[in-house]
Amino acid sequence: MKIITDLFLTAFYTVFVQNLVLSSGLGMSEAFRVSAKPGTFGRIAVMISGFSVVTSALCAAVNIYAVEAELSYAVRAAVYGIVLAAVYAVVAITARLVFKASDKFLGTLGIAAFNTLVFAIPHINNSAAYSFAGSIGSGLGAGVAFILAAALINKGSQLIAENEEIPDAFKGTPAMFFYVALISLAFAGFTDTNLFG
Amino acid sequence: MSNKLSFRDVFVRGAVIFNPVLVQLAGLCPVVAASTSLKSAAMLSAVAFAELIAVCVIASAFLKKVPRWVRMPLYLIIGLVLICPVLWYIETKTLINLSLSMKIYIPLIAINSVVAVHCEQFAVKNSVKLAFYDAAAVGIGASAVFVAVGVLRELLGSATIGGMPVNIPVTFKGMLMPFGCLVILGFAAALLKSFVSKKYPEYIENGVLVAKKEEPSEPVITQESVEAEEQTDETSSEPINEDVQGGIKIGTQEEIDEFLKSLGIDTQETGDEQ
Repeated sequence: MKIITDLFLTAFYTVFVQNLVLSSGLGMSEAFRVSAKPGTFGRIAVMISGFSVVTSALCAAVNIYAVEAELSYAVRAAVYGIVLAAVYAVVAITARLVFKASDKFLGTLGIAAFNTLVFAIPHINNSAAYSFAGSIGSGLGAGVAFILAAALINKGSQLIAENEEIPDAFKGTPAMFFYVALISLAFAGFTDTNLFG
Repeated sequence: MSNKLSFRDVFVRGAVIFNPVLVQLAGLCPVVAASTSLKSAAMLSAVAFAELIAVCVIASAFLKKVPRWVRMPLYLIIGLVLICPVLWYIETKTLINLSLSMKIYIPLIAINSVVAVHCEQFAVKNSVKLAFYDAAAVGIGASAVFVAVGVLRELLGSATIGGMPVNIPVTFKGMLMPFGCLVILGFAAALLKSFVSKKYPEYIENGVLVAKKEEPSEPVITQESVEAEEQTDETSSEPINEDVQGGIKIGTQEEIDEFLKSLGIDTQETGDEQ
């Protein structure tokens, strides 16, 4: 029971309380890019969750050893990177050889695997001292956090495009920055943070 | 029309007009999450600059023939090979006390979207020299934003610059959060857009930033580059919206023909080759 509770609480925390994309900026560039294509949200989010969960699970074992051996952050980062590259290689080669995946699909797979969000998950699990179940939960939450952020950005970009009262200099990207800033502020409201002080 | 671009052309386009952070929205993670002071911003920009140049030059020199889906993990591995030894040396052999966020975010530079985007959009389609020019220009553009944002956030959020106290009437801790960074980026992007619309009005069309059709962003168009663009996935190199176009997009046969015609190349003949 504790395992399931850990898993879902961490996933919930990763999505809603400390949304990794909007509160930490992880994978924000990819969220902006994907937000322009709503049809790809689900596919990329599933891929991100998949890579995050598998990488988190494998790196959880590394984290236990890393703490005991007092490994430096540089060594840990190198190991996480090798694990992520290996997971991607296995998935991509399997997709290519077994399922005859197209270059386009593999390109999308690469974008889902190699972004700051997926690569940061093992670091976050390590620094937050998540249990194994918690690590899996944060991996699952990363994908959901991404799809939530991309959907919010997509809706915002539509509203901004329809708004004719925005001054010329602020049309497009500048307005998007302000919009995402406000969403980020809204998520910051879930944490115990002072704006002034 | 000459297909050769000078360093000045590449610099103006890469660092200013299509600034990687403010226009292409690449590399947002380090600037939003970790550029909270001049010191951290300077460290991140130095690492990002060196890594971008090294990976782009290596990609241009050795990875042109490698399939795109194999290149992606190679960028990460090359980045880690460059960054991790330096970070390890700083951590274990020097007295520099890195914060936890720096220890986490410096390795994340290895997987930064600026690197992947510019390697895929430019480096693997051009000569090593041009790839170096582009990487240097983009690196300077990104670093300038990192440092400017870092200084402003430190000043407004902590009332210090480079750790030295500055007397300002009120501090606003929100500036140290991603919210504060995004607000600064919003104003900076608007400022840049105003500057471009005055200085380079040919890049502004109906109020949005666009690539000049008569001046290709990729000076060398090869069969390989056209095929690579056709195979490009739905998310990596396509612009987010009209405002974020960093180059001329090549997609359908008609677009390719139109693009080649603008270069003065016989489209019928080229079409046969394809």
